[in-house]
Amino acid sequence: MLSLTNVTRRFGTNVAVENCTIEIPAGQMVGIIGKSGAGKSTLLRMINRLIDPSEGTIAYGDIEVSTIKGAALRLWQRDCAMIFQQFNLVPRLDVLTNVLLGRLNHRSTALSILGLFTQEERASAILALEQLDITKTALQKAGTLSGGQQQRVAIARALMQRPKVILADEPIASLDPRNAQIVMDSLRAINQRDGLTVVTNLHTLDTARTYCQRIVGMQNGRIVFDGSPDDLTTDIAREIYGAEGLKEAFSETMTSTSLPAAPATAPDKSASNEPVKSRAGEVAKRMTDAQLVT
Amino acid sequence: MVELDAGAMLRTQETERHYRQLLGQRRLYSVLIIIGLLVAASASLWFANETNAGKFFDRIPYFFDFFKDLAPRDGWEIWRALFDLPSPYDDGSLQYNYPVGRVYLIGPVYLPEYFYKMIETLNIAIVATMFGTALGFVFSFFAATNVNSNRAVRFVVRRFLEILRAFPEIVVAGFFLVVFSLGPIPAIMAVAIHTVGAIGKLYFEVVENADMKADEGLRAVGANKVSRVWFGIVPQVMPNFMSYALLRFEINVRASTIIGAVGGGGIGEQLRLAISRGHEAKTLAIVLLLFTTIVAVDQLSAYIRKRLVGEQAFALQGALA
Ligand SMILES: Nc1ncnc2c1ncn2[C@@H]1O[C@H](COP(=O)(O)OP(=O)(O)OP(=O)(O)O)[C@@H](O)[C@H]1O
Ligand SMILES: [Mg+2]
Repeated sequence: MLSLTNVTRRFGTNVAVENCTIEIPAGQMVGIIGKSGAGKSTLLRMINRLIDPSEGTIAYGDIEVSTIKGAALRLWQRDCAMIFQQFNLVPRLDVLTNVLLGRLNHRSTALSILGLFTQEERASAILALEQLDITKTALQKAGTLSGGQQQRVAIARALMQRPKVILADEPIASLDPRNAQIVMDSLRAINQRDGLTVVTNLHTLDTARTYCQRIVGMQNGRIVFDGSPDDLTTDIAREIYGAEGLKEAFSETMTSTSLPAAPATAPDKSASNEPVKSRAGEVAKRMTDAQLVT
Repeated sequence: MVELDAGAMLRTQETERHYRQLLGQRRLYSVLIIIGLLVAASASLWFANETNAGKFFDRIPYFFDFFKDLAPRDGWEIWRALFDLPSPYDDGSLQYNYPVGRVYLIGPVYLPEYFYKMIETLNIAIVATMFGTALGFVFSFFAATNVNSNRAVRFVVRRFLEILRAFPEIVVAGFFLVVFSLGPIPAIMAVAIHTVGAIGKLYFEVVENADMKADEGLRAVGANKVSRVWFGIVPQVMPNFMSYALLRFEINVRASTIIGAVGGGGIGEQLRLAISRGHEAKTLAIVLLLFTTIVAVDQLSAYIRKRLVGEQAFALQGALA
């Protein structure tokens, strides 16, 4: 169980995250939504300790995440993998090496620097690539891959860490609809098949509704909503995004993701886009009609 | 052509500026060698003039006699001097006895004296560049803000690098040659020390311009500092590092030649001796060899650099276009 208690983060006088308290049981898939600048990234980065909280405590089981340092901190970071919007791979190294770098905290630095990864590690890296259907890119330089492929490499690297939690900071924000769907499907598969806790920031409401069991809404650094997708009424959505932002949050579903209600197989593009467009469009229209236009 | 964001633009401009700096220094050293040659030659002319009757300034109208003095007895003499072949003018004096300098390798196979000396000079440059670059590499990460967050250490390392590159190689070499007596080791030390300072600075600026996304990714993996630098930053900066090291090598070949002339051994010393003794064929042979070697080194280095940073050079052209 991951628990944040009264967590606050300030940048100078600017409060990015304010007094957030939340408990996430193991195995949950949580989506964090909110306007740009709401503090989503800051919250996630504090959990992985890329940023230190100003106040409050973060704990995972009996690990006091918010205060650990040095080797203990790196061990936590290994257990709590992070996926970034810009992938954050090493572009000049090949895909396989990038995936193997997920093992860095499992082995001695000297061995890593000499490039001595074991047969076993190599095999499991290839297996991870296979799961994400990008094995054929294994020897290509990571920087030469498409965005969707790079994000899948990043997920493979995260899996190599053998983490307990996966954090994803807008993992699909720079991907086209098809790749966005593949990446979200992979995250869901990891959550369901391997039972890992997944916490992901999402820019669009629709993606969060489709993929997450639980949605957390943030506004101005505070948690203003925490519940199931069904609890997320249009009133609340409007509060989170603001009247202007709400339209945007929906219109973006058509440009940044293509998400059929039940993505069982990878559907044909035109077939998958159509229902989403109509569904999202319909919701947006309903909201506009009912509340937004005064 | 790839789109360049603002950061990439800045980086390429930075790189361009560094290249110009290094090329400027290389040119300066070439000019120094040429000036040195002229000064040495005129000095020996003056000396010869003094010991004869007449005065230098009276002789200015006969300035071109100097070049006449440099003219060998026949064109083949240059090649005989260069390849240590027997000369028909051999009178047992050092001036025309070329084969005496031969360095025998196996049986009758020999290396001509000046090739041997040229290799000695190149060797000084290679060893100094390797040691200097390796140390500069290590120091650069301690000096870079984005790798080392400890201000005090950064400050000390940067000042240290400044001190190392404050004095030209030749000055440091002069000092070492006095302290440690003549030979290639003091020359190597002098060139290496300056290289650490110069390369260390160039390198840390490259590191500070590195894109830190890869590093952040590895931090989130739980990798330690050494791994993060090695896997997150080094692959990115390596083409630039290699390129600067090669440019530095070109400069160091010139520096080693000049240091040779002040007692560091190698081809520089031979050149000074040949000029001061008025051995015209030997002088020309050495100048020819030196010129050819420097051009060859520069061309080879340019070729490797182009291959290493091919794509970046492309971006550079794009940014400057
Ligand atoms: N390193 C930093 N230094 C200063 N201020 C920061 C820093 N990082 C974030 N902030 C500020 O904290 C606030 C929250 O930023 P954060 O990146 O967490 O928002 P976000 O919800 O992730 O937004 P987006 O959807 O645009 O990614 C913003 O006002 C931002 O300007
Ligand atoms: Mg963000």
